[in-house]
Amino acid sequence: MTVVACLKWLTPHDADDRFGGISPADSSALEWALRLGAARNEQVLAVAVGPAAADTALRDALACGAHRAIRVDSADELSSNDVAAAIAGAIDGLDVSFVCCGDYSLDRGTGSVPAFLAAQIGARQALGLIEIVLGNEVIALRRLDGGRRERLRVDAPAVLSVEGATATLRRASLSGALAARTAPIDVLAGPVGSHLPTARRPYRPRARVLPPPQGETLDRVRSLLSGGTATKSHGVPVELEPEEAADRIIAALDEWGYS
Amino acid sequence: MDFDAIVVGAGPAGSCAALELARAGKSVLLIERGPFPGSKNMYGGVVYPRILDELVPQWWEEAPIQRWVTRRSTMIMTPTQALTIDFRSQNWAAPPYNGATAYRPDFDHWLAGKATDAGAQLLCSTVVTGVLRDAAGAVIGVRTDRPDGDLTAKVVIACDGVNSFIAKEVGLYGKVDAANYTLGVKETLALPKEVIDERFGVRGREGVDFEVVGCTEGVNGGGFLYTNLDTVSLGVVLKLPRLAAQKKRPEEIIASFKKHPAIAPLIEGADLKEYSAHVIPEAGYKMLPKLVGPGLLVAGDAAALCLAAGIWLEGMNFAMASGMYAGRAAAQAVTRGNTGPDGLKPYLEMLNSSFVLKDHRKLQHIPHLVLSDRVQNQYPAFVANIVERMFRVDNPAPKPGLRRIVREERKRAGIRWRDLLSDGWTGMKGFS
Amino acid sequence: MLAVLFARDGAVPAGGDEVVAECGGRVLVCGTGAHEAAAALQVQGARAVETGQFEPGTLAQQIAPLLDDDIVVLPGSPDGRDLAPRLAHVLRRRLLAGAIRVTEHEVFLARGGGREIHEVTVDGPFVATMVPGVRGTVPTPEADHGVPSVAEKVVAGTASGTDCAVLEVLGPDVATMDLAEAPRILGGGAGLDSSERFDQLTRVATALGASVGATRVVTDRGWLPHARQIGTTGCVIDPELYLAFGISGAVQHTAGLGQPQYILSVNTDPHCPMMQLADLAIVCDANAALDALEARMAERMAGQRG
Ligand SMILES: Cc1cc2nc3c(=O)[nH]c(=O)nc-3n(C[C@H](O)[C@H](O)[C@H](O)COP(=O)(O)OP(=O)(O)OC[C@H]3O[C@@H](n4cnc5c(N)ncnc54)[C@H](O)[C@@H]3O)c2cc1C
Ligand SMILES: Cc1cc2nc3c(=O)[nH]c(=O)nc-3n(C[C@H](O)[C@H](O)[C@H](O)COP(=O)(O)OP(=O)(O)OC[C@H]3O[C@@H](n4cnc5c(N)ncnc54)[C@H](O)[C@@H]3O)c2cc1C
Ligand SMILES: Nc1ncnc2c1ncn2[C@@H]1O[C@H](COP(=O)(O)O)[C@@H](O)[C@H]1O
Repeated sequence: MTVVACLKWLTPHDADDRFGGISPADSSALEWALRLGAARNEQVLAVAVGPAAADTALRDALACGAHRAIRVDSADELSSNDVAAAIAGAIDGLDVSFVCCGDYSLDRGTGSVPAFLAAQIGARQALGLIEIVLGNEVIALRRLDGGRRERLRVDAPAVLSVEGATATLRRASLSGALAARTAPIDVLAGPVGSHLPTARRPYRPRARVLPPPQGETLDRVRSLLSGGTATKSHGVPVELEPEEAADRIIAALDEWGYS
Repeated sequence: MDFDAIVVGAGPAGSCAALELARAGKSVLLIERGPFPGSKNMYGGVVYPRILDELVPQWWEEAPIQRWVTRRSTMIMTPTQALTIDFRSQNWAAPPYNGATAYRPDFDHWLAGKATDAGAQLLCSTVVTGVLRDAAGAVIGVRTDRPDGDLTAKVVIACDGVNSFIAKEVGLYGKVDAANYTLGVKETLALPKEVIDERFGVRGREGVDFEVVGCTEGVNGGGFLYTNLDTVSLGVVLKLPRLAAQKKRPEEIIASFKKHPAIAPLIEGADLKEYSAHVIPEAGYKMLPKLVGPGLLVAGDAAALCLAAGIWLEGMNFAMASGMYAGRAAAQAVTRGNTGPDGLKPYLEMLNSSFVLKDHRKLQHIPHLVLSDRVQNQYPAFVANIVERMFRVDNPAPKPGLRRIVREERKRAGIRWRDLLSDGWTGMKGFS
Repeated sequence: MLAVLFARDGAVPAGGDEVVAECGGRVLVCGTGAHEAAAALQVQGARAVETGQFEPGTLAQQIAPLLDDDIVVLPGSPDGRDLAPRLAHVLRRRLLAGAIRVTEHEVFLARGGGREIHEVTVDGPFVATMVPGVRGTVPTPEADHGVPSVAEKVVAGTASGTDCAVLEVLGPDVATMDLAEAPRILGGGAGLDSSERFDQLTRVATALGASVGATRVVTDRGWLPHARQIGTTGCVIDPELYLAFGISGAVQHTAGLGQPQYILSVNTDPHCPMMQLADLAIVCDANAALDALEARMAERMAGQRG
């Protein structure tokens, strides 16, 4: 069986390929793929959909211990569905146990490739993970909203997507690094992007719908000027020694009901 | 042995060494700690690649340069005055050219590419952390920071830049004295190309090189200002002990240099893109380390082969040349099967008979002179005041005679005749 | 346009109310406690379907037949983000993820790490997700609580093996919580003197049950990751309680503060904007105050244990 790591090649918007690389999340994904491969005694395959420059990332993956690398050649900006289809095509026919992805790519940043991929290859999904425990089973902790988390048992076949802080990519051995410089990378023909008409402009936040300001005229004006924060201001500043300050803070929190 | 030779550091010295070895058909590994050659390297900004005629004929057709230096100005400054000797030559605007401004990430990357094209292997993101030695103490390889990170070779060439720990570890340096180092700090400032062309009076690919004395707030050193296509490099080099003694911060000195009335209009409205600092070896001929050890050669900044003395800032050319000779000597030694100290000795002869050591010998007293307190603190005011008084119109008083001005200004600056004469003599001798 | 929300124990997901508002009040709520959540939304005709825990593969199959609108919008909360591609796959529709505005024919997508907006013109059906917090809503008055919702039925779960097994759901953890969702935040600014101060700030925050935030000056120095930056170019937060240590209160910072019920500020400058905004403004060295506060919290803990 095979464990797959999906690596997206990125170049900073004001620099060339020499400054490119993969995201911290993808580095973590690669590390998890290598750990899974070792734990399950399976081959590790690194896949990138991207231009020739992405070979650098694949070679680094090989240097770190991946057994094989495939690049689906595409210089286009593809939709996440197309990227997932390209990856699915590249691993078609392999007996895949786990696919490891980053939670978000830094440029598109929607975290949708992994879910599409899971849907397309008929695998389970465990996405946005902040912790993985490898034992007899794969147990993962998934981030939910409201600060909650969900513990999952992830059985193969499954697509995992991890946050960058979940694992630090190992350092490639010297012999691995030397061998990877000339190691072969399989290149497959990739899809061409199908694009909706798109206009691009610098980010400007959308005007937020806010409740009208409350209170006295002066407070309302202040509220508008402060970007909608705090409609009221009670406090006259008090000058305190550090110890007194700590006591005052604790007293205030108690009073406000936050002790 | 894993390789005939291992070269540590893919700066200009290392790449030229690897290129020469690969051309000679030797197996060579070039190890660089950055993610690609030049990625983290900095310098003032002007390179004199004449030596490349030998290694890469017609290099000017492909080297990634920013501008060709066609105007070279030396400026003597006091807080309110500036005297400039301005030289221009259109001869330098055409092949074979003289100097050029270039970015290190581009230039070093390109030069290392020449070495790999010739067959050298390049390994990046790898730090050499030590040398391997045999029982007799001869260097037989390197240790890197990677797991299973040892490699052996018949010769190791240390091109790891200033403060070379390899040269130190093998004991090629005597006592290291902070007095032999200067600190270089540099800002890269962005300006539209048209603005640079207009302010500096250049066209197309022409560029300027300003070297300045007296702009460092009493800390011995010098300043520079170079034009790239759409940025300028501005910086100062400062004598380390002085910097420490005077409790000045390099940022403050750069800031006051930028505010000088002769500089401010040139860089007005520029955006700061980058700030960097680096140490420069400035040991001088007498303080050079041993350049050859058993199984080891040292080249470039690692061997302190750099000329940094206020109005000179040449290191890249010395690095490329010494690297080339080191590669050549190593290849010959490998062919002869003698990589011991005597087998590698031809390296010294090559350096001795080339500009590398000839220039260092000739100019051995110049850095000391340029960085002396008199040249730094007294002469700029002395000279600038003389010129100011010559050009000042004091009507109805008649114009004073030059001799009187010189006498008065010398007194005012507190300079003794004896020192003036001896400094003049050192200067003359140094350049003749 | 139809909003699709996945509720957990009757709670509306982050950004759910905004998506409902964007869709003009048309909404289908699935998940656990779907009815309760639908009622809390206070919109007429909210549809609710009880589907059990989050099993995105199965869920997409179950609810796809109920989605008769051409445009389906989910909040980009963790559940919405992970369900949307599954839905798009089952419905064979295009996914436009990470929108800041959705209309019938035009969708604005945040791209390039929030540096760019892509204005996409689209014809025909699609699924979109919307970034929580970008739109804002006006809360409806509490009075007409309990708008009835319409119950719907779904086909029973599809074959097993489509989803992971949920073992447990853990409560909020202030240390790993997204700042945008944190109810209590302890913010540090340039008034704190070293990177170690931020380790200390984190310890004090944990003791207070608060999450740590910072100004751009701090994140630029690399003392905290960018994810902890509050303001126009960082996170937009909406805590109940905000404690500001050594923060001047520049408008780029305060614009991201939301509407905390209580603000407390410690600063050496009594006149800076953060002090003007504070309910309790203490003029004091924030570093020393933090030392004292940490000592007090330790005493308290010891006292509680003893
Ligand atoms: C502020 C300043 C301005 C200057 N201006 C000029 C100028 O205008 N013109 C000019 O000609 N010269 C200038 N110089 C001098 C010039 O930069 C140097 O002389 C030149 O770079 C020396 O080249 P090198 O190859 O010996 O060393 P470097 O360029 O320092 O290269 C050393 C290389 O070795 C690598 N390395 C170091 N240690 C290790 C290790 N342990 N393992 C692996 N790799 C390692 C480094 O990453 C680097 O790539 C200036 C210097 C400074 C500081
Ligand atoms: C386009 C743009 C976008 C920006 N986006 C953001 C953003 O998203 N978020 C953001 O935060 N900023 C942002 N900024 C930066 C913003 O303008 C302010 O510079 C920043 O918020 C100030 O951070 P600060 O309060 O930590 O530092 P300062 O403004 O330097 O304030 C430090 C405060 O600490 C106080 N202080 C100093 N010493 C002590 C002490 N010992 N004890 C107590 N108090 C002390 C000082 O009195 C002062 O009030 C943006 C700026 C621009 C131009
Ligand atoms: N072009 C690509 N090639 C390989 N993997 C990709 C590509 N795009 C996205 N991925 C994977 O999908 C994850 C999430 O990306 P996204 O859905 O674009 O936010 C990334 O971290 C990668 O692991």
